[in-house]
Amino acid sequence: MYIYDQFDHTITRERVAEFSQQVVRRLIGELSEDQFRPLRLMNGLYLQLHAYMLRVAVPYGTLSSKQLHKLADIAKKYDRDYAHFTTRQNLQYNWIKLEQVPDLLAELASVEMHANQTSGNCIRNVTADQFAGVAGDEVEDPRIISEVIRQWSTFHPEFSFLPRKFKFALTGAAKDRAAIQFHDIGIQIVKNDAGEIGYAIYVGGGMGRTPVVAPLIKPFVARSELLSYLEACLRVYNLHGRRDNMYKARIKILVRDLGPAEYARQVEEMWPMTRAAGVDVPASEVARIEAFFVPPVYEKIAEPVASFVAAKAKSSAFARWVETNVHPHKAAGYGAVTISLKPIGGIPGDASSAQMHAIADLADAYSLGEVRVTHVQNVVLPNVKQTDLFAVWQKLGEIGFADGNIGLVTDIIACPGLDYCSLANARSIPVAQKLSTWFGDLDRQHNIGPLQIKISGCINACGHHHAGHIGILGVDKAGVEFYQITLGGAGDEKASIGQLLGPGFAGEDIVGAVDKVVNTYLDLRQSPAETFIEAYRRVGPTPFKESLYGRR
Amino acid sequence: MAVVDRNGPIADKWERLADDAPVPGGTSVIVSFARLKSEHNSLFSAAGGVGVEIPGDVNLDELEPFLPRLGVVVVRMANMRDGRAFSVGRLLRERYGYGNDMRAVGDFIPDQVLFLLRCGFTSFEVKDNFPIDSLKHSVAAYSVWYQRATDRAAAVAELRQNTPGGGNS
Amino acid sequence: MAQVKSQTKVLTANRLRNGETVYYTPAGTWSLYVTEAKVSTTPEEAEALAKIGADAYAANQVIDVAVIDVAPGSEVKPTHIREVIRATGPTVRTDLNKPVAPPQR
Repeated sequence: MYIYDQFDHTITRERVAEFSQQVVRRLIGELSEDQFRPLRLMNGLYLQLHAYMLRVAVPYGTLSSKQLHKLADIAKKYDRDYAHFTTRQNLQYNWIKLEQVPDLLAELASVEMHANQTSGNCIRNVTADQFAGVAGDEVEDPRIISEVIRQWSTFHPEFSFLPRKFKFALTGAAKDRAAIQFHDIGIQIVKNDAGEIGYAIYVGGGMGRTPVVAPLIKPFVARSELLSYLEACLRVYNLHGRRDNMYKARIKILVRDLGPAEYARQVEEMWPMTRAAGVDVPASEVARIEAFFVPPVYEKIAEPVASFVAAKAKSSAFARWVETNVHPHKAAGYGAVTISLKPIGGIPGDASSAQMHAIADLADAYSLGEVRVTHVQNVVLPNVKQTDLFAVWQKLGEIGFADGNIGLVTDIIACPGLDYCSLANARSIPVAQKLSTWFGDLDRQHNIGPLQIKISGCINACGHHHAGHIGILGVDKAGVEFYQITLGGAGDEKASIGQLLGPGFAGEDIVGAVDKVVNTYLDLRQSPAETFIEAYRRVGPTPFKESLYGRR
Repeated sequence: MAVVDRNGPIADKWERLADDAPVPGGTSVIVSFARLKSEHNSLFSAAGGVGVEIPGDVNLDELEPFLPRLGVVVVRMANMRDGRAFSVGRLLRERYGYGNDMRAVGDFIPDQVLFLLRCGFTSFEVKDNFPIDSLKHSVAAYSVWYQRATDRAAAVAELRQNTPGGGNS
Repeated sequence: MAQVKSQTKVLTANRLRNGETVYYTPAGTWSLYVTEAKVSTTPEEAEALAKIGADAYAANQVIDVAVIDVAPGSEVKPTHIREVIRATGPTVRTDLNKPVAPPQR
């Protein structure tokens, strides 16, 4: 993974000093709250219902075991002994004191981490495929260019006060595991006819109040010109994005209003100027970064691996866990393990300090010291030998994270919701817990098959409900929590936005309503091989509406 | 009101001229863009120097013909979150080649001055109680940058090339 | 169940320096416990609370100041679920909740 050099260290150290000084100026009243708020948000610091919340950046979801140990230590020292993995592949602490943030940032900096631009109207933490570098289907490891973008966008003098937040996501494979078309800019790494690597640029996707699947703006940008092209994209947005209404300020509205062709034309017009400004980094710099992502030397292991095959034969529970939680690895004899942070009835994405330490220890023992965070709020050990999978599974059982439910109905995304968040209208986590418990039986989960439930506690859609096969949106109806159901969303390479089925359900009725939707699917699917989303795309919303609301 | 640069308060020769005020001969005046467009002949002949104040949504193509004769361009930020000024500054310098004083005015805070400097601004109109000590501290917050900007400060990618053994110490 | 507009209100905020949820008390201090809050029963009293909150915000003591509805009765209890959760803590981590009243000493 990427390792800081003296310049990265200098910038990170100077950032800690700058923010520490800003905190002092706030505490003595030189800065008002209105002045300080954008500054603290640019450092990932929110005020939530019970305390400050700090969102730590995990660039493109890659962590070392050392970093994870430090994150666990910080959870114990500065928070209440746990943390929350988010849909931006980041990590949040819920009980932070403003006056302690400078010390906390210094501890993060000691392991080459920070909270830069994890909030605010600036370029946010770049997300990428959690299987980057280990998936067999990728054109290029997306973390190389993600790191180039991270550096370019850090403290960008022109784009730190954009009309609204700005999110990048990258995938190196045609199979999109990063939901790129739901981002302000989504980048797919492609090869052109000449065999050169370049970047397809999608602009203007997003969730929130106005969900949009991003259109393709430019099918191929060469590596040597990517940053100047992105800078042109951002400059057009910074100048012309709406600033009069925060609900219309995202770039998706600008692209929609101008039309993708006109937006693309304005970017082309701006591009010569950004090229001339010298923002593109030399090939040697990309090569320097690339060297950090050279694949490790894997042992030569012939498949099938006898002990692994035997372990699966001996334990059907293990075999099932492998089926859902182990992703094929490009190196023979290895697998990428997704650790489910969705124990049945648990809080999606939460992990205690002890659990984080245990995962870091597993990474050291079995995964070359590396960990990934997924946008589905799980954690990945990317480099596990098949001979070690059984041991890893058993050790995960000791910390309560051995559930074999990845991609199944209980692998639920839920935002923090009204239990923590000051923007929320309704609670999300208890709904996830009740659904998880209701559908907890593993036989039943396998019978239902791949099904993504995503829950947001407000229209900002941090729980990605628009992209859920079943999406649940919490609303406040005269002081009471209600939940609307959308169906048919998808965040992969066939991205689609879920459709609202009808009136919402009270908290005590939402599990029953989802159960009806699932049973309707089970009744109408053509065969067990037809997944929920495939069946929905075949039949549309009507049968589901009828089962929930009766015939009209 | 006071005018500062990166080092603190500076002397300022410019006077604001209301749209209906007569042009005082020999004085350096800052006028609205509307007035510049309608009265540029008399302004350039009578005033000692001419500057203009523009909002963030100005059409710079319309301003371009006047740029070579302007002594100062004042870019107004509607509030501290109005980030258009950063792009306007870069366009004026890098696309239109404007070379004289470029000034920001509005409710920005010292922490934003560094970015404004990087985008080509040279002076700042601020309230009298603007914290000068914090300004001096803020503009010195960083010694290196990850990206090129108008100020042409070398980005780390270039510094790495010139550092023996790259940047790894 | 329609909400009846409450006439009884308290002043709440979060402390600037540590973010703690606090309530303004009859003694003129800020308490962690909603049951210790000063309760207004008239629009004029609510107005006075709002003024106190605005002053404390301007003095950089607290942020996110709000005058919120509480149910009438002997024990102060917020009416809206958001404020119920704010007063005690996340409903999904009751082990971390604080009591609504200070522990007896």
